[in-house]
Amino acid sequence: MSKDQRVAQAEMLRNLQEIDFVLIELNLYLDTHPNDPQALEQYNYYARKRNKLRYQYETKYGPLTHFGHSFNQYPCGWSEGPWPWEI
Amino acid sequence: MANQLSSMRPNPYVDQERIWYPYISPYDPCPPICAKTYVVPPNQFLGFQPPNLPQYPPSQALYHGTLWPILFSPYKGKGEKYE
Repeated sequence: MSKDQRVAQAEMLRNLQEIDFVLIELNLYLDTHPNDPQALEQYNYYARKRNKLRYQYETKYGPLTHFGHSFNQYPCGWSEGPWPWEI
Repeated sequence: MANQLSSMRPNPYVDQERIWYPYISPYDPCPPICAKTYVVPPNQFLGFQPPNLPQYPPSQALYHGTLWPILFSPYKGKGEKYE
């Protein structure tokens, strides 16, 4: 895997991480403010966005999660490294 | 008794560090620590979070550790200024 591919992969993972963090914050906020329309809409917007980004990542670099939450493949399945947390 | 120096800060969301001065005993073998600081995070002043507070963009939110700038509470290490 060439260097700039690795950089692109790391960048995509970073974006995923950023969106995950926003989703975590909004999730905690919605726990105590379930009727806040803006937060609800923003949460759903980012959830869809995260799903798209995850799909893009997985078609290129392989599964991010297992136990049925992601498709597996061979080659570049979860049986081979590097795993997302190793990058 | 720690002589609490918690005079009302002008803006508790910005100046979060408070200082107190422990008693220094003449029998203390170690070099005395004259001033000790602690952080009072902004969520102590916010209470129930109002809706539609201004937010950081996602990249900044992850960097600052919170989605809302008003709740940002940096931990300043020894001497290193965090921005």
